[in-house]
Amino acid sequence: MNNDLNPALFYFLAAVMLLSALAIVYCRNLVYSALFMVVCFLSIAGLYAMISADFLAAVQIMVYAGTIVILIVLCIMITRRTTMERTNMPEKKYILRASVLAGLLFFLLAYIFVNSEVLPTTNNIIALSGDTVSGLADLLLGHYMLAFEIAAVLLLAAMIGAVVLAKGADEK
Amino acid sequence: MSYFAKIFILLIAATIFPIMAMIVPLIIQPRQPNKEKNSQYECGVDTVGRNIIRYRISYFLYAIIFVVFDVETIFLFPWAVKFNDLGLFALVEMFIFAGILAIGLAYAWKKGALTWK
Amino acid sequence: MNLYVIYPEITVLVLALALIIIDLLLPSEETRRPLGYITILVLSILAISLFWQYHLTISAYFYQGLFYYDNYAIFFKQLFLLAVILTVLFSLQYIDTMKYSSEFYSMILFALTGMMILASANDFLTFFIGLELMTISFYALSGFGLTNKKSSEAAIKYLIIGSLSTAVTLYGISLIYGTAHSFDFAVVCKNPEFFSALGIAGMMMITAGIFFKMSIIPFHMWAPDTYEGAPVPVTGLLAMGSKAAAIAVFMRILFEAFFPAADYFMPVLAVFSAICMIGGNIAAMKQKNIKRMLAYSSIAQAGYMMVGICAASPQGLKGVLFYAFLYVLANTGAFAVVTVVALEKKGTDYEQFTALSQSAPVLAMVMSVSLLSMAGIPPTAGFAGKLYLFMAVVEHGYLWLAFVGFIMSMLSVYYYLKVVRVMYTGKSDGSTITISGAVRAAVLISMTATVVFGVWPQYLSMLTDFAAITFLR
Repeated sequence: MNNDLNPALFYFLAAVMLLSALAIVYCRNLVYSALFMVVCFLSIAGLYAMISADFLAAVQIMVYAGTIVILIVLCIMITRRTTMERTNMPEKKYILRASVLAGLLFFLLAYIFVNSEVLPTTNNIIALSGDTVSGLADLLLGHYMLAFEIAAVLLLAAMIGAVVLAKGADEK
Repeated sequence: MSYFAKIFILLIAATIFPIMAMIVPLIIQPRQPNKEKNSQYECGVDTVGRNIIRYRISYFLYAIIFVVFDVETIFLFPWAVKFNDLGLFALVEMFIFAGILAIGLAYAWKKGALTWK
Repeated sequence: MNLYVIYPEITVLVLALALIIIDLLLPSEETRRPLGYITILVLSILAISLFWQYHLTISAYFYQGLFYYDNYAIFFKQLFLLAVILTVLFSLQYIDTMKYSSEFYSMILFALTGMMILASANDFLTFFIGLELMTISFYALSGFGLTNKKSSEAAIKYLIIGSLSTAVTLYGISLIYGTAHSFDFAVVCKNPEFFSALGIAGMMMITAGIFFKMSIIPFHMWAPDTYEGAPVPVTGLLAMGSKAAAIAVFMRILFEAFFPAADYFMPVLAVFSAICMIGGNIAAMKQKNIKRMLAYSSIAQAGYMMVGICAASPQGLKGVLFYAFLYVLANTGAFAVVTVVALEKKGTDYEQFTALSQSAPVLAMVMSVSLLSMAGIPPTAGFAGKLYLFMAVVEHGYLWLAFVGFIMSMLSVYYYLKVVRVMYTGKSDGSTITISGAVRAAVLISMTATVVFGVWPQYLSMLTDFAAITFLR
């Protein structure tokens, strides 16, 4: 792909991501929100692919767009509702305060990012030797092996906790 | 970037094909509606009761175990790709990693999270 | 690679996995009490063995500058081990009443592993994964009271706000990584772009994320509800272990990774610490539930410990370590009593504590000593701890902070003594509470240690000196 297409593709993906993120918040039916989440995650995966993080893009699609959303839909299914209308109502009470704070944070971060010279641009991006997957393998199984093993423990702890809580709720 | 261009072209093609498959019948199909044809299930049994019920928690247990092993695959994948270069030590690491999660599988199995009641 | 450096973590982890396997092999109707005994035994041996790990030579890393094994880390590992051993000891009976008792033990051990990793973490990746291991175990643990609606509420509130704080921390780490191109604390502090706007934003976000875990006001909203709803042993561990681990890692990040900015941090920390002491103590006065009261008091205690960080000197650091130690001791005493009362009287409001001195004199005495230690009344260790903290901070020039701390300690005596008054007055309903040997052992250990370290603080202070000086050179 030539470089002229890149900005267009970026803005397209970013727009899809933002619109679907808004849809997640403003859909009144929780199931629709969950499905818009898939769109949002897919466009994020597209953004990852654009910055050559191919493995991350695949993970994003596999874990987030695939599994996590299914889990969320399942969670909606196991909580009883007579109708799915009006299940995702926005909280009106704090909307002013929340939007002021979020807006302030947004402009602050935008200011920082725009004026930052250390952010990776096309000039100072660090080239990876080889593909991302083998780079990751070297880091995970070499330098960060401890964190790698702890990740297994983390998964185990999360799984046991979830099984206990879910089964406990079932047997009550 | 050309690597992704192929995927991108595939994505566009994959989007266009089903849309075409829906548009073409709209144009060329004959329209002869009748009552039986318009019912929700043209063949099969009519539904009884509400369609939204509370599902069993067993679904969730399967799903959560699936997520855990899905994430494990993510970690296994780089190791498998670089298997030849990484050597014995990485193999040991991977066995510890998989072993810890195997205990989780044994736990879920024994506690009946995998059996359908 | 030095495998021996991670032997405490390996031991705890192998123990946790062994408990899961033993639980699967045991018939389901069998009592899970032996698992508790095994836990206490192994952890005690481990905690004692760590005494021989203190060293004067250069500290070892696990691998290429990751996972630092210095005296500071060893001290905190012992502290977490002590907290978990005493918690398991006083809650053996409580855990027996739970449906999933063996899982409870393993989850506590997973959380302990997370804390111990936090104490040694020397790069942001290890820090983050240790933090996650600890908090995810605690999310599940707070929901372990399966028949109790409040327990579920506690777990959900902790999960949502905890995930938010995790996200904030992670974003901060990514910004720091963007400027320094490394996770390593030693590289981050030498980063030439350290004071770029991006780096500062990253620092702020990481600090805010850790403040959530330390429940510093205004990041404390989750604490009272979670502390009230969670099962009592979990509340105790949250107050002791989770908070101490967050403080341990915060000090390391502040003085290693953010060292060039440490001087700018101090006035900010001083303000947060003052807010914590004032807000925590005033809010604690109005509480009707002992667990909520202890939650707000733990917020105030975090404020006291921050005073020591503000001093930014080996004395201040030593004060923090000393205070963290006796804070764990005082809290085990208090939470042991609350656990027994919650089990016997099915509640933790002030009414349930009425005339405790007649139904269980030992418990009433331990509770009084623990609360007095938290208030900082002389013969107890709390006094020595506060003395170290305030002296260190006055030396550093924050006279007003020491003044605020002093006034607030005086005010806190009011609500601590309110509990004591309830326990020693009022009409008894004639019932007596039988205390098991394990609970008696736990409360007596905590009370004796509180008094001994109050009268002879020099023994503990030798250890904390050792840990503090090797860290902040």
